[in-house]
Amino acid sequence: MTGKRIRTKEVLQAKMAERETTPLYNPEALKKLRTEFDRWRQSTVREEDRENWFEIPRTVLGSGIPREMLYSPLSNPDLDYLRDLGYSGQEPYTRGIHPNMYRGKAFTMRQLTGFGGPEETNQRIKFMLAHGGTGVNVLFDLPTIQMYDSDDPISKGQVGMSGVAIDSVEDMDIVFKDIPLDEVTVSLVTHYPSNTAILFPMYLALAERRGIPWTKLRGSVQNDITLEEVVRSGPEYIPPRDCFRIQCDNIEFIREHVPQWNFVTYNGYNLREFGTSAVTEMAVAVANAIETVEEMLRRGRDVDWVAERIAFFWSPASDFFEEVARLRAVRRLWYKIMKHRFEAKHHRSLWMRCHVQTSGVSLRMEEPLNNIIRAAYQALSAVFGGAQSLHVDSYDEAYSVPTEEAALLSLRTQQIIQEETGVTDVVDPLGGSFYVEALTNEIEKRILDEVDEIEKMGGYVTAIEKGWLHQKIANYFCEERRRIEEGVIKIVGYNVHQAPLALPAINVFRYPEGVEERQRERLAKLRRQRDNQKVEAALTALENGCKSGKNVMGHAVECAKVGCTEGEMFRVFKRVFGQWKPPSLW
Amino acid sequence: MAGKVKVLLSKLGLDVHNRGLITVATELRDAGMEVIYIGNSLPQEIIKTAIQEGVDVVGVSSLGGAHLTLGKELIEEAKKEGVKDQMVFVIGGVFPPADAKRLEEIGFEGTFLPGATREQIVSSILKMASAKKKKPA
Repeated sequence: MTGKRIRTKEVLQAKMAERETTPLYNPEALKKLRTEFDRWRQSTVREEDRENWFEIPRTVLGSGIPREMLYSPLSNPDLDYLRDLGYSGQEPYTRGIHPNMYRGKAFTMRQLTGFGGPEETNQRIKFMLAHGGTGVNVLFDLPTIQMYDSDDPISKGQVGMSGVAIDSVEDMDIVFKDIPLDEVTVSLVTHYPSNTAILFPMYLALAERRGIPWTKLRGSVQNDITLEEVVRSGPEYIPPRDCFRIQCDNIEFIREHVPQWNFVTYNGYNLREFGTSAVTEMAVAVANAIETVEEMLRRGRDVDWVAERIAFFWSPASDFFEEVARLRAVRRLWYKIMKHRFEAKHHRSLWMRCHVQTSGVSLRMEEPLNNIIRAAYQALSAVFGGAQSLHVDSYDEAYSVPTEEAALLSLRTQQIIQEETGVTDVVDPLGGSFYVEALTNEIEKRILDEVDEIEKMGGYVTAIEKGWLHQKIANYFCEERRRIEEGVIKIVGYNVHQAPLALPAINVFRYPEGVEERQRERLAKLRRQRDNQKVEAALTALENGCKSGKNVMGHAVECAKVGCTEGEMFRVFKRVFGQWKPPSLW
Repeated sequence: MAGKVKVLLSKLGLDVHNRGLITVATELRDAGMEVIYIGNSLPQEIIKTAIQEGVDVVGVSSLGGAHLTLGKELIEEAKKEGVKDQMVFVIGGVFPPADAKRLEEIGFEGTFLPGATREQIVSSILKMASAKKKKPA
């Protein structure tokens, strides 16, 4: 990289300073409020409360932002309604990306599915769709995520665990049996750029096999360097620069050939669950997105061509109002970045669209039914925040993958919010709250400050290489653990209000048997029946593509079509890019 | 007890969740133990490294569902290499409580579920390591 890096914060500050403002509150009224506030504080508020006017809510994965005891117009005296909030579906999109929000389209109920072999996962997907799920969300098993075949010695004993086993296009075909790929929107939880470059081509090859044009496919992949190089714990890593290049190659290829597909979902979720605050989660995802857009501009692409399809994935944790405010804050910040830093023209480019999933680490093994309540509040905060799609974690996930019954309850949680509570009838119902608006401002400011910290360091990929993020995460989770043990962060049923009696055990999911054998047999058959000359040629072309610096995904699609396995393709990446030793976390 | 307790920690197989194990690594180190953290490894490599390093305790972590399959393989490998009685074997992670019993039957001397406190982990590992060190070889 050459030249001095542009600092987003500086650009935005300059642009903001240029704008004319129309404050909502008149100075006279504010003056009167201030006088009355001082009088009230002295005469009515107890001394103890005056002294502890600011308190920091200590919650799981919280940001540590101090809160006032009471908020008023004085908390946000410069409020300019049109500049800061606007109407829904209007710049700066604080109140939501669509004018009618959930009146127009309910949030997509996209429950994660994946366990065992492709057969079992196909059954569970159909079960969820039959009960009113409105999107598919496929999670892969440990070997598939880490890019090893089911018959690799390293995969032994782990096939079909934590997700579905996929080795080749044949498995992809079974997962989506009877599911119309041109009708349902499909989220493939390919966390890493590397496995996106391998697994998504299998999906594309499947569409081709079924005669469905790629232009009709709708859905998303994750494709996020943060997951591959920071959040992951794995035996083998490729270097961050190469990983970032694959992330961008995937984006470019998908944008060009699968225009309705969301080619990246900047995943704050897994990073935060690993151990970062509400603010860092968003700062990192935004910094990564900025660096991607910069790279696309360097590749000669138009900003709108890329930005229209960018999506984010967030984790709503326990601090209810912080979660609502945060979604609003990052929506406004993303708008400012795209509008003022990158000068995007199309309205879609200015939208921070997001999927959210309730927090997994906030779930407890003790008194597991309490998790139903936790997830429901978290889901509600996401809806108040204006999320586009939602997954609600199941109460038994502190033990294992959810049972069918628990997965259904998660879907029902969403349906109850949507159908029974009436909260979806009004757009951004908490907008205008003195508290929520002040918190939204504070969080936006803090996210931008952390983005600036990353940019000053030399950018996001550099921040990964230097181990800055790794260290920040380790510090955060050790500190959080200490606070929980000391009872500063309170967890009902664990460190406060423990049950005096042992509660009855819940049903826990058991993995189906025989999956590994079935996958091995299918792989053996594939290796026997495919044209191995074509396989070799496709892998060589992929290797040459990796070396030449041209887009890798087109080559990977050819590999998928002729029956290359995931492990075979990952071996090519490792051979070309070599291996990277990530910074130590402790 | 003579000398520092030496602990080898590893993620079992391909499991991607390492927050818990790194927390434990930090806590054991802060409690004065010598900690070797080797990231993701398979049972054979874990035992091989444990022997090379001459550790007192082997701790593995699994949150992905492979605790029984790979856990069993780890203990079998330790028996095969003749170190099962010299070292303490402990496992932690996310698994059903009924499986904690199974893991103890398989041969793990300590099982730690989510919610295990620093104090519980540190003191039980110290106790088990000290009991084993006293045993004549």
